[in-house]
Amino acid sequence: MSGASTPDTGPDVRPQAGPGRAIVVVRVVVGAVGVLVGLYGAYLFLSRQTQSRQLVSAAKYLVGGVVLNDLLIALVVLALGFVVVRFVPPVVRAPLVVGGVVLGSVTLLAIPVLLAKGRKPDNPTLLDRDFVGGWWVFAAVVVVSVVAWIVVRLVVARRSPA
Amino acid sequence: MKVLDPQTLPGPKPEHFTSRLRSPAVAARIGMALGIAFGVCFVTGLLSHYAQNPTQPIPYPSSPSWGYRLTQGLHVVTGTASVPLLLVKLWTVYPKLFERPPSLRARQLLLTGLERVSILVLVASSIFMLVTGLTNTASWYVWKFGFRPAHYAMAWVTIGALLVHIAVKLPVIREALLHDVEDEHSHDRPTAVDQGVMSRRGLLRTTWLAAGTTVLLTAGATVPWLRTVSVFGVRSGDGPQGIPVNRSAKAAGVTATATSESWRLEVSHGERSVALSRPDLLAMTQRTETLPIACVEGWSANGTWTGVRLSDVLALVGADADSDVTVSSFQENGPYYTVNTLQKTFAGDDRTLLALMLDGEALALDHGYPCRLIAPNRPGVLQTKWLGSIEVQA
Repeated sequence: MSGASTPDTGPDVRPQAGPGRAIVVVRVVVGAVGVLVGLYGAYLFLSRQTQSRQLVSAAKYLVGGVVLNDLLIALVVLALGFVVVRFVPPVVRAPLVVGGVVLGSVTLLAIPVLLAKGRKPDNPTLLDRDFVGGWWVFAAVVVVSVVAWIVVRLVVARRSPA
Repeated sequence: MKVLDPQTLPGPKPEHFTSRLRSPAVAARIGMALGIAFGVCFVTGLLSHYAQNPTQPIPYPSSPSWGYRLTQGLHVVTGTASVPLLLVKLWTVYPKLFERPPSLRARQLLLTGLERVSILVLVASSIFMLVTGLTNTASWYVWKFGFRPAHYAMAWVTIGALLVHIAVKLPVIREALLHDVEDEHSHDRPTAVDQGVMSRRGLLRTTWLAAGTTVLLTAGATVPWLRTVSVFGVRSGDGPQGIPVNRSAKAAGVTATATSESWRLEVSHGERSVALSRPDLLAMTQRTETLPIACVEGWSANGTWTGVRLSDVLALVGADADSDVTVSSFQENGPYYTVNTLQKTFAGDDRTLLALMLDGEALALDHGYPCRLIAPNRPGVLQTKWLGSIEVQA
């Protein structure tokens, strides 16, 4: 507030001091709270998963997730992007990418139900859908939408020669 | 002292990534949506853990009866919607992975190293939370650690790392959000100028579309009118008497005891105790309540339950309706929740029933026959099935 600029004082370095300092304070406080919250979580984790097999299993998931994303998913997406830019006509690219992001990310998160390893013979109400059949319907809806969008783009492009 | 210039180190560099979609303008916006989703997950998760605490310094409320259904439904829906958000977010910042520290001087290395570690912790714990959460909703246990304590502890790690990340990036986030998403600004990488296949706004819309699609395709497990569309919902909502089952009578090994004429509900209060058979309970005043059963795994369904008010049963042993009680199932070697504390807010609530009927018929064996607990706004795992005893706490 004290650093608010007024028209008659001309250029002044102080107007920056008010919000600037406030941001520094916010950053320090948020950062410090974050460190404390994170350390509390680490303490909770280590105090409740005390057997080495639990820690090894948790470490596999922690490291595995990062490796899977940074080395597998990222590289596959890079390769797909390369293919799209090199070999796919411009009018098709955006619909293809939108369809790919929706279908790809939703398929990834649906893996636990698609594999349905949690199904139990004594409980037919658990995972009681035909998830694979549902996936085919979903994939078909995405493909039809992408094709329809491409057709619309082609028609629009032909009508307005620019 | 002459130090090596880190820029000369071999390997991919941020400059090699040229799409202007990989911009802080996009990352900050998706990051904000992800931050809100994680915040909702964290708060609803804390509520769920608190609701399962035997002792509650601030009593967990019994109203609204659909409160837990809402918070735990939100927990799983926002967690699931975070998957596309996190994937696109990580895609936009991928070039950062190959950034070199500005110099190899100790101070600079330490600062860069600390920031890198905080991001590593954030990414690793975020993926951990989403993977364990999603597999848990599908009852798929592939790990050797305890899901509940690990998911809970790692939530604190994730939120802590997220706060550190926000603190570090606040100036970038602020500048990105103050400008239009399509504007170039000082935090853009100079080489990231390729138009790519769509606009930045187009990428944002794609991300919201993917996140919205996950909600439509999964939320039917708790939102009845989405059931036909939710092809990836863990439950269709169907089951005996229109309610899904988490643990069957067979899995709990209760069939013989549950169907035996000799079953009695033992109710005790200090020296006083009664043993009630199912006909004894049916002879008492019957009440009907419509209450949801809402699982920690996010699915939920409404049921029309008929049975005896818990407070009426407590009166038989001279106990005040406002008492904490210990509720026990007769399942043997069951999980931790077969014995739990029902706090006085629930025990004293008129809607809390010892249910004998569901949807106008005798309770199905899988729903807890001969008698189960049903209380408003309570986690499903604590709505004890196959009741064996109720003990008023001193």
